[in-house]
Amino acid sequence: MQLVLSWPVRLLIIGILVFSLFVDGAGYIYRVANHYPLTGNVPGLPPNFGSWQLYIHRGLDLAGGTHIDYQLTNFPAGQSRADVQQRTIQVINKRVNSLGVSEPQIRGAGNNNDRITVDLAGVTAQQAQKTIGAISKLVYTKWVADSKVTNGPQPGYKPAFTGLTGDDIQSAGAAIDQSGVSWVVNISFTSHGGTVFDDLTRANVAACPGTGTDCPLRHLTIWLDLTQKDIDNWEDPAYVSKIYAPYDTGCLAAQTANTLCGKFLTDPTTLQEISGGQAQISGNFTQASATDLSTGINNGSLPVDLQVLDVTQVGSTLGAESVKLSLAAGLLGLSIVVLFMIIYYRVPGLLASIALLFYAGAVLAIFKVVPVTLTLAGITGFILSVGMAVDANVLIFERFKEEVRAGRTIPAAVDAAVRRAWPAIRDSNTSTLITCVILGFVGPPAVQGFAITLGIGVVASLISAIIVTHNLLAIVMTGSALRRPGLMGVDRSVGAV
Amino acid sequence: MSELSDVAPAEQAADMVVPSEKPKETPPEVPRPRVRRLNIIGRRNIFFLISLLIIIPGILSMAFKGFLLGIDFAGGTEFTINFTNQPSVASVESAVAADPLTAGGTVIQAGAGSYIIRSLPLTPQQQQIVEDHLTGRLGPMAGGAPQQVIEVGGTIARETIEFALLALVLASAAILFLLAIRFRNVPGGWRAGFQFGGSALAALLHDVFLLTGLFSIMGKVFGWRIGEIDSLFVTAVLTVVGFSVHDTIVVFDRIRENLRVSQRLSFEQVVNLSIMQTAARSIITSFTVVLVLTAILIAGGTTLKGFALALLIGIVSGTYSSIFNASPLLVVWRRVQPLR
Repeated sequence: MQLVLSWPVRLLIIGILVFSLFVDGAGYIYRVANHYPLTGNVPGLPPNFGSWQLYIHRGLDLAGGTHIDYQLTNFPAGQSRADVQQRTIQVINKRVNSLGVSEPQIRGAGNNNDRITVDLAGVTAQQAQKTIGAISKLVYTKWVADSKVTNGPQPGYKPAFTGLTGDDIQSAGAAIDQSGVSWVVNISFTSHGGTVFDDLTRANVAACPGTGTDCPLRHLTIWLDLTQKDIDNWEDPAYVSKIYAPYDTGCLAAQTANTLCGKFLTDPTTLQEISGGQAQISGNFTQASATDLSTGINNGSLPVDLQVLDVTQVGSTLGAESVKLSLAAGLLGLSIVVLFMIIYYRVPGLLASIALLFYAGAVLAIFKVVPVTLTLAGITGFILSVGMAVDANVLIFERFKEEVRAGRTIPAAVDAAVRRAWPAIRDSNTSTLITCVILGFVGPPAVQGFAITLGIGVVASLISAIIVTHNLLAIVMTGSALRRPGLMGVDRSVGAV
Repeated sequence: MSELSDVAPAEQAADMVVPSEKPKETPPEVPRPRVRRLNIIGRRNIFFLISLLIIIPGILSMAFKGFLLGIDFAGGTEFTINFTNQPSVASVESAVAADPLTAGGTVIQAGAGSYIIRSLPLTPQQQQIVEDHLTGRLGPMAGGAPQQVIEVGGTIARETIEFALLALVLASAAILFLLAIRFRNVPGGWRAGFQFGGSALAALLHDVFLLTGLFSIMGKVFGWRIGEIDSLFVTAVLTVVGFSVHDTIVVFDRIRENLRVSQRLSFEQVVNLSIMQTAARSIITSFTVVLVLTAILIAGGTTLKGFALALLIGIVSGTYSSIFNASPLLVVWRRVQPLR
């Protein structure tokens, strides 16, 4: 425990303090000087390191975000619409989670189970639409003869659905091909998908036999989101030229009933029958686009088509006034706590309050640096950790009083109090930390924010209570004027000595 | 023992209790003037009874009535309205709160003068009443009608609750084992460790059931809006879990320490003494938290009142259970399964 009072430790505390003040404070000077609002992101806000900007990231419930209404169309026949809607919500949820959005809210809507509304915090509308709507459905087609088609990629032929879709794929992964230059997406089919794929490739080869020969009947084409309507319009060259263009996820995600987007992925020649359920999609992939595609396939395909009805930038879901009032009430409560600590514990209470300020500053700086997205649940975790920091101090001070009453000198009592309160502080905070880790991993999104802020807060509160308070006490104890029991909140006359 | 090495054994004993001359059958007499002579262990059945009187109706209410679901779990009606006068968020919020049909609903700003208002499910007639009420208070809507009125479902309440339950079970198991490990060095070894862990766990479950039960009663039996269950309530329950264990461990740590230094006291006496020594700290800590929560409950915004109330009930219950349930339970457990 002697280490606690050594100068390197004190220097470290001062270092943390200076860093926190810098992170917390520098931005406000800039904001005030340039007449920017005091919260949220502001262009060129210091301290920033490249594109890494430090400000408090607020979640949807506090700051708002993007609100999207989707219309579901093309319900699969013979399935309950409510089930299909639920499955769609699950797929969207999976995709949104890959964005790392805090506490997304996705809900079914519409009297006919044909709507879904999505609220996302801190994500631009474009980003959200790209992720949610991206790679809706991977579709395999073959070419069939149609004399009415005179133009397009394969004159005299139009695509026909093969029944093979993204639903038949078990998993997909981005990889570099054998040449070591270009990126491909390796896919493995489900057992059903593998059988269908085997049949298709065998039919391909049989339709146009011979090694090295190539004809439209020997191609299997892969598209994203190709619909029956697209195939019905195949005789219109203008229409086909729009569809037969490299796929554009941004366009596909935002498509409405009348926009036409590129949906073409690749049109390889089948070299031989492929059994075993493994296949490769090659095309002009970059590492990023190959990863995007495989992630999209892995996250599952949507059972329906999504059409964007409406996209809006929205305010907080909790109610701005409500949050303001509650923050004010919380601050009032905290001031009462500080006042109470000072009146009840005198000098130690004052020191603990200073340590609490240090604690709050350091935690806010950590929230900015990590960055932690603050939601109401997250703020609760923070406040709970403040409570635990106060508790650690109360434990030490109550112990301190006991030690003084038992007849120790005040400096000796400080040491004994910290030493004897430590096991309780350690065990209770360890249990809280373990709970945080579990909640952080298996909790629902709303609870994960809580777990993260509580966990950070508990670690910081341990440092604040044990090291900072102890050091402050030890420094003050060297001044003999302050050693009077009355200032320490101890009435010695009641003591048992 | 290492943390006590600088204090002589005689000194330690002086800090603790002067051994009693009386025979052990008498209730634990603590001769130090500082420690108030409350016999909590001896009256433990009264305290168990008080807990059960609150918890059993709560469990019955949960089993037969369930919970009143808040808007974010149950879904409701969503209006998207563009007001021509561009009223402020505050005025829209107060207009929504003033109408009994939409009270407890949420207001989201979607642009200048444009708002998304969510309330519990409304019939078309009720929707018309709400629209009339809103135009009466906030002025005309652009185009004379809401841009959109739809029925929205709840967020994935089921998954949220299932995940939270899984997390609760895992955390309980972890706490049980952590305490068993930390307390295995008291006389009795691992079995004693599990007695400590099990008692802390029981106190934790006490708080969870008390809080959820009371909310079930408030929401379903009395039909109070403040008893609604939403994702904030789930957070509140988890907060209470953290606080409750925290409190209990402080008492148990004192028991562990006192067991080491005062061999001459009976287990009951040690436990009672430890409760007395830590009660001031438990009550002061809870009191500081209660101060903050009461401020929010009285002066805070409407959307957070249920949350503040849940925390308040949970923190008070957590303090009660750590003093009056966890340690007495430990004593009962020792009697049923003696270790020495």
